[in-house]
Amino acid sequence: MYKQLSKSSRRIWISSNFFSLFILLFFFYLGRSLDSAILFYAGGSLSVIAAIMTFIKAFIHTGLWKMVHSNKDLDERQNQVLLGALKNSYSVFTISVLLLVYGFALFDKQPIDVLLAACLLYVAHILPAAIIGWKEKAV
Amino acid sequence: MKSRKLYNRISVLRKERNISRQELADIIGVNFQTIGYLEREEYNPSLDLAFKISEYFELPIEIIFSPKPMKSIYKEILELKQK
Repeated sequence: MYKQLSKSSRRIWISSNFFSLFILLFFFYLGRSLDSAILFYAGGSLSVIAAIMTFIKAFIHTGLWKMVHSNKDLDERQNQVLLGALKNSYSVFTISVLLLVYGFALFDKQPIDVLLAACLLYVAHILPAAIIGWKEKAV
Repeated sequence: MKSRKLYNRISVLRKERNISRQELADIIGVNFQTIGYLEREEYNPSLDLAFKISEYFELPIEIIFSPKPMKSIYKEILELKQK
């Protein structure tokens, strides 16, 4: 049985999960610009732990991850909600990635880093679940 | 095309039969949260689901669902009898 969280609690956990990814990337780029591997490893490992914990709380305990990734037992309303979330996340993700690639091409002149690509891959997987968790009254 | 809001009597009928949302959800084969969405009139069911609900309550579909705000079920039965 999944834990029923209120909409505001779900929003807090989802925001914390995204925030921990930003912190991870922040330490990565800060460590690289200051040439400090310790800064990256210390800050990075703390953010990864935070990301894992918030992921479990926001997506595993609430059943959002299962709802999006194993959709065999969904009823017609849940299928409708999932379809809407997939449609929205497709648009949001495509536009964000294209803007990011454009920004990198314009200002950085470097290819996208492995860590940023991994974060984008993770976001692509959690975005539909995050949209459902953010918008729906009950999941 | 935006669909019309459908009003229903699921909540009244469920309470009258003294069953929980979970029990009704198991009988008609949906998630129990979907029963909440239906009772709050935040979700319009498919025709198939509407028929499943009417078959369970053994009432005509138009007694349970309506595109207009619904009167009390007793008033409606009295009006039908008077006709």
